[in-house]
Amino acid sequence: MKKIIWPLIILMSISLTIIFTIGFITSVDISKDDKTDSLKKNQEQEKTPILNEELEEKENIKLTDTKRILALGDSLAFGIGDEGNLGFLKRYEGLLKKEKNQEVESINLSIPGYKSDQLLQLLISQENNEEIKAADIIIISIGGNDIKNIEYTDEISTEIVYREALKKYKVNLESSIKEIRKLNPNTQLAIVGLYDPYKKEEPEKTRFLLEWNFETRLIVNNDFKMVYIPTYEKFEYHLKEYLSEDNFHPNGQGYQIIAEELFAILYQ
Amino acid sequence: MGSLIQNEVIKILLKKKMILIIMFLLIFTSLFSYGQQYSYNKNIERFESLSGGTEFNWRSLTEQRLNDLDKRANNQFIPEDVRASLEREIEQLNYFIDNDINPITPTAAKFNVDFAQQGITLLFPLLIAILAADLVSSEFSSKTIKILLTRAVPRWKILLSKFIALIMITTILIFIIGTLSTLVSYGFFREWGFNEPVITGFKLNGGKLSSESVVLISRLKYTVLIYSLLWFASIVIASITLFISVIVDNSASAIGILMASLIGGQFLQFFLSDWEIVKYFFVTNIDLTRYLTGSFQPIEGMSLNFSILILALWALILLITSFVIFNRKDVLV
Repeated sequence: MKKIIWPLIILMSISLTIIFTIGFITSVDISKDDKTDSLKKNQEQEKTPILNEELEEKENIKLTDTKRILALGDSLAFGIGDEGNLGFLKRYEGLLKKEKNQEVESINLSIPGYKSDQLLQLLISQENNEEIKAADIIIISIGGNDIKNIEYTDEISTEIVYREALKKYKVNLESSIKEIRKLNPNTQLAIVGLYDPYKKEEPEKTRFLLEWNFETRLIVNNDFKMVYIPTYEKFEYHLKEYLSEDNFHPNGQGYQIIAEELFAILYQ
Repeated sequence: MGSLIQNEVIKILLKKKMILIIMFLLIFTSLFSYGQQYSYNKNIERFESLSGGTEFNWRSLTEQRLNDLDKRANNQFIPEDVRASLEREIEQLNYFIDNDINPITPTAAKFNVDFAQQGITLLFPLLIAILAADLVSSEFSSKTIKILLTRAVPRWKILLSKFIALIMITTILIFIIGTLSTLVSYGFFREWGFNEPVITGFKLNGGKLSSESVVLISRLKYTVLIYSLLWFASIVIASITLFISVIVDNSASAIGILMASLIGGQFLQFFLSDWEIVKYFFVTNIDLTRYLTGSFQPIEGMSLNFSILILALWALILLITSFVIFNRKDVLV
C-alpha cells in the first residue's frame, strides 16, 4: 500500500508543481505592466500638456466666436403659435446672448407639418449640407405629426397603426441622425421630446406618447453627443398656460419653457 | 531527508483528514452546481413567462448585444482602451454564435473557476488549516515530539520535511479541488466548455483598471491560470499555518487563530481605501484570482505583482521565524 502511494504522490506533486509554476508565471506575465507601455504613456503625458494648451487656445477662440445654432423639423421647431414669432430657437438664442454674452447666429430650416420621413428626405437631398456642416448645435423637433394623425378607433386597430408609425419613426430618426453625423460628426445634437396636448380629451394616447418618448430617448442614447429635451413633464400641469389658441402648439410662454430647458441642459 | 518527508506525508494521509476534506468538497460542489443549474432553469422559465410564452432564444439576444457593441465600438469618440475591450467582447460573442453555444449556459469550465474564486478567501485556507494546523502542535500535545527529537536528525530538518510534505499535500489538494469541481459540475451541466474563449489580462494604469491589453484565451488555459494562482495563495496559507502550528501547542487553537485572522482580515478590507497599512496584510492580498477576472475595485498601488510580493514576504518571514522558534524551543514534555 505504502509502496504504491508514495511514488504516486511524489510524481503527482512534482508534475503539478511544474504545471502550477508555469501557469503562475504566465498569469503574472499576462497582467504585468509593460514597461515600454508606461514609457510611451509618459511620453504621451509629456506631450499632452502642450496639446492641452493648444486646445485651450482653440477653445478660447471658439468662446469669443459666434455659435451657430440650427433648428430642423416640424412646426414646433418653426415656432407656430408663438405670439412673438420667435419660437424656441430665437428664445434660446436670446437666453444665450443675455446670460452668457455669447454671440449667436441661428438658422431655422424647419418646415411646419413635417413628419419624420420628410425630414429624412430633406437631409438625403443634401440641400442644407452647408448649414449642417457649419452648425455647432442642431436642435431637432420631429415626431409630433407622426403621432398626431393616429385616430383612436378601437384598441386593436389603434395599437396596430401606432406600432407601424413608431417603427417608421424610429428608422427615420436613426437614419436622419446618421445623415447629420456624416456631415458633422462633432456637432451637439438635441431633440425636443413630445408633450401631450390631448391629456384631457384622449387619455388613451398618453401611454403611446410616453412610449414614443422613451424610444426617442433610447435612440438619443446611442449617439455620442446628443441630448433629449424633456417637455412632457413641463407641460403636463400647465396646458392652459402654455398652449396657444389651437390647443396644439405652444404659445410664447410654452416656447420660453422649452428654450429655458434647452439652455439649462445644453450649456456647457 | 527523503524518508523523513515520506514519513510526514504518510502521517498526514493516515489521519484520514484527506478523506474528510474530499467528502466535504464533494458535498459542496454538488450543492453549488445543483443550485446553479436550478437557478439557470428558473431564470429561463421566468424569461419565457415574461416574454409571453415565446421560447428562450439566446441567439437573438446575443445578436442584439453584438449589434449594440458594434455600434459602440464604431463610435469614434470612445477611449481606446474601452474600444479594445469592446472588440474582445465582440470576438468572444462571435465565437459563441459561430459555434452555436449559448453563452450563459453553466459549464464545468466556468464552475471550477467560480468555485476557486469563491473559495480562495475562506474555504480553501480553512481546508489547508485542517490539514496543517496540527502538523507540529499535535506532536507536542500527543507528546510524540520527544521521540521525534531524540533521533539523530537536526531539528530544522524535521521542520523542513514537515513543510515539504505539507506543500506536496497542498499541491495535490488544489488538484483535487480542480478535478472534483470540474467532474461534479459536469455531472450536473453535461457541458465541458473548455474551448470557449474568455477575456482576461486587465492592467492597472495610473490607479485605474485598464482594458487596453485584454486578451482572449481558452477556458482550459484560464482554468490552469486561476488554479496556479490559487496554488500560490495556498502555499502561502500553508506556510502561515505552519508558523501558527509551531507557536501554539494544540491544533484547536491553531485553527482558531488562523480563522480569526482570515475573517478579521476580511473586515479590514473595509478600511482599505483610507488606511494605507491594510494593503500589507496577507488577507487583503490573498484573492489573487480577481486580478485575472478584472472584477475588483482598483486600489492605488495594488496589482498582481504587489500582492504576490506581499504574500511571498509574509510566507518567507513567517517560515524563517518558525524555523528559529522551532530550533530554540524548550521541549519539556
